[in-house]
Amino acid sequence: MIFDIGYLMLISGLVLAAYGVIAGFWGGQKRNTKLIQSSFNTVYVVAILVLSASAILWYGLLADAFELTYVWNHSERALPTFYKFSALWGGQQGSLLFWCLLLSGYSAIVAFFNRKRHQLLMPYVNAILLTTSLFFLILLVFAANPFKRVGFIPPDGQGLNPLLQNYWMVIHPVMLYLGFVGMAVPFAFAVAALISRKLDNEWVRTVRRWTLIPWMFLSAGIIMGSQWAYMELGWGGYWAWDAVENASFLPWLTGTAFLHSIIIQEQRGILKVWNMVLIWLTYFLVILGTFTTRSGILESVHSFARSDVGPYFLVFLILIMFGFIWLLFSRMPLLRSDHPIDSYTSREAAFLGNNWLFTALAFATLWGTFFPMFSELLTGQRISVAAPFFNKVNGPLFLMLLFLMGAAPLLGWRHTSLSAFRKQFTIPIIAGLAVAGLVFVVARSLYPMVGLGICGFVVAAILQEYVRGAMARRSVNHENIFVAVANLWRRNGRRYGGYIVHLGIVMIGVAVIGNEFYQQSTNVTLNTGESAKVGRYELEFAGMESNREANRIEFGARLIIYDEAGKAIGTVIPQRNIYDKTPDQPTTEVGLQMSPIEDVYVVLNGWENQGESATFTIYVNPLTVWMWIGGIVLVLGVLIAIWPHPVLRRAEGMQAVAYATGD
Amino acid sequence: MFGFRIADAQDATAPSAAATPVSPDDVNAVAKQLWCPLCSNVRLDSCELKACSQMKDVIAQQLADGTEVQEIKNYFVAQYGPQVLGEPPMEGFNWLAWLLPIAVVIGGAAFIWTRARKMVQTPKPEDDTPDQISGMPADPYAEKLDKELKQYD
Amino acid sequence: MARRCALAGGCGPGVVGFVLLLAWGLLRTNQTEQRAAGMAPEYTFTTFDGQTISSSDLLGKGVVLNFWASWCDPCRDEARLLEETWQREQDNGIVFIGLDYLDQEPAAKAYLEEFGVTYPSGPDLQSAAARRYGIKGVPETFFIDPTGKIVHMEIGPVVDQARMDELIDQIRP
Repeated sequence: MIFDIGYLMLISGLVLAAYGVIAGFWGGQKRNTKLIQSSFNTVYVVAILVLSASAILWYGLLADAFELTYVWNHSERALPTFYKFSALWGGQQGSLLFWCLLLSGYSAIVAFFNRKRHQLLMPYVNAILLTTSLFFLILLVFAANPFKRVGFIPPDGQGLNPLLQNYWMVIHPVMLYLGFVGMAVPFAFAVAALISRKLDNEWVRTVRRWTLIPWMFLSAGIIMGSQWAYMELGWGGYWAWDAVENASFLPWLTGTAFLHSIIIQEQRGILKVWNMVLIWLTYFLVILGTFTTRSGILESVHSFARSDVGPYFLVFLILIMFGFIWLLFSRMPLLRSDHPIDSYTSREAAFLGNNWLFTALAFATLWGTFFPMFSELLTGQRISVAAPFFNKVNGPLFLMLLFLMGAAPLLGWRHTSLSAFRKQFTIPIIAGLAVAGLVFVVARSLYPMVGLGICGFVVAAILQEYVRGAMARRSVNHENIFVAVANLWRRNGRRYGGYIVHLGIVMIGVAVIGNEFYQQSTNVTLNTGESAKVGRYELEFAGMESNREANRIEFGARLIIYDEAGKAIGTVIPQRNIYDKTPDQPTTEVGLQMSPIEDVYVVLNGWENQGESATFTIYVNPLTVWMWIGGIVLVLGVLIAIWPHPVLRRAEGMQAVAYATGD
Repeated sequence: MFGFRIADAQDATAPSAAATPVSPDDVNAVAKQLWCPLCSNVRLDSCELKACSQMKDVIAQQLADGTEVQEIKNYFVAQYGPQVLGEPPMEGFNWLAWLLPIAVVIGGAAFIWTRARKMVQTPKPEDDTPDQISGMPADPYAEKLDKELKQYD
Repeated sequence: MARRCALAGGCGPGVVGFVLLLAWGLLRTNQTEQRAAGMAPEYTFTTFDGQTISSSDLLGKGVVLNFWASWCDPCRDEARLLEETWQREQDNGIVFIGLDYLDQEPAAKAYLEEFGVTYPSGPDLQSAAARRYGIKGVPETFFIDPTGKIVHMEIGPVVDQARMDELIDQIRP
């Protein structure tokens, strides 16, 4: 049967990956060209095998093969095809297979693009990536077989978790996994550099782009997850500092720190050990995050059910931990030899500050996530660590980070005399104070005043950098302003794309402050035709409606929104969906009217008398839309930053042609 | 496993029998400061379990009796333990939850400071803040930009 | 060098402790079904009537320890059976104890009233007992013999009289 072939492919993938690990390490050690070539081929073949196995599981899902436990548990006949497709990552076994698929895909792409480069590093890179694949294949073969049989053929499946039947929930895990899995690539290069003792700037330069790409996916994944929580969980917020959310946020924090601190290593040749530690931490936190969400050791709404994969993860984590520490200590002398520093600069100080804050944030988040376990183990008392803790501990750190984000680029690498300092900081500081003053007048509150003031400072600092850059280009090259900005992006995307990313972060910060400090809400029960007032709006309940879909009934309440002038400005239909397979878990679809100033956000809590009256929670969420805009801006910024430099790209293209004719 | 304790959504939102002069918004203002003890990381005001709506009824009752918000919170801590607070209480072992991150922030700052000083091999006079040292080989683009800027100035 | 040692001295135990914590967490999540064996953990509680009861007072009697809550619908399915069996067995050396899990006093009292519960029942403050017994939901019922040993643990309601009798027979003094 085809599903046995799928399982067989996983087994052969496992065996091959194990061989490839040995081929890579040994070939690298002995400089044996045949073995090295063999490790490349293994990477490709493993990718093909995992892809085929995934295709078979996809086939099982689309063809309603309920004899498979996985399909039976995570699909049903009436499930829309789109969700049948996405059910591949809707459950434990499938999502591990998906993880493995993305990882082997990344590995194959890395191997292909670097097949003629980094001769010393690549065998080890292949071996490290295959080791990670090997671990996931072991899980799939021994502990979480996606091709397990039910033993009989059930007539229908049990359906996909209704919470996952949402567009954002389809795309969000893909983004998140692309980010998670991709962090294995820079880690593999770091380890390869350590093993091969080739610790110059080569791996650092290569790794920058390979870190930015997963970083972009991870950021997008986190933002999309927030969007999902905002639209589906119906509590007016987007981020609850839930264990699973933290699991995705931790590697983001250390990854962001790494992205910044490799810049100084590249420029100044310092922080070599620290960068190794950071990329290792990022990889470790990726595996830890996967572990905590799969094993159920931290109870969470998002967790997959308990299963057997826990002990495997624990062993792997210990191996990563001690293996890397041993490797790092054995290479310590090589990492310390290069210390050409006789002074430090202001820009470096800012980078150190950045690393300090990111690391502290990662620690506080990790600590807060696991503290309930500590507390229960040592005192027997159960406590919860949720938003109040994280807001108090992480909030001030984020504010400092935000400030540094604006200040660091102003300090520059050059000598910052008092006059230069004044010239650089005057406009941004005035802008920041102006914004803070405006907040003081409009909506008096300390935290937002400081926070939004800093946001104003950062935006002004970024604009000032752009104006300076564009003016310089205009005066030298006589370009008009648009061409000048486009050329700043094209010729120095790293710097000016980075500023765009920062701008995106500021927008997200503004949204967080608006939602956190200025949210209004009310809870009302309305009869048809009645209305309720929230903030500047009045909402009239126009009646209930229901709609039968393939696998669910959607109950919606129509509300018409009026502004202060009594003009109708829109209609929202908050919904409750009751799924046939899980009628006791109705899902929420909020009714949302977005605007740049504030969102009107309505949750349907319940209804009585055949829908003659209904209960709602109505929120007004200021500035929240900027979170999603900021997310898009951030992705654009990364794209500008990783876009190949025109001169370098030409060089690469010529190289590629040379290889093509040479082979 | 937990399926049998989930209350029906419609049921959960049925108006409570006890008619009090307290509005739902008053109750939610308190509920926003409490966490559902049966769930993981769900705030009481957005929790739809029957147990949560009972808790909200108790809040309404206590508000109607004129109980202070802090006392209401203390009552729930006594009933269910500190997990309803959403943060570790600042007492006993749980102090560690708050102090360790602060210690790491301060310790990290001290560590970086001493390391950065060590990197500067020749000790400088005290007033040498990092901002005032120059002589860095800048990245090529910054140099170019600076040149362009000089022309522009 | 000294600093490096100090750093290793600080981080080493931290790292090892973290690994141990994860291992413990794993054990905890996987050990749920072994609770049905061994000695019953101790507990003390005050009933809604104001009477304080400690588990050590109950040695020598068979104890049916029921965790319940007023918001729990399946608990309603077994409430009458529990009370009827208690009425029948209370003079035969069998004690019924109700521990109210994460509940509200007004609602809990209304529930006891509704089902006419007369055996000792009271709130399990801060879930102290529930945690020691490792319950995963309500209702859960523990059958404890006169020596204080857990003979059986029932997850979910006991709705069948024959089943109840069979279990009670195992804990008779």
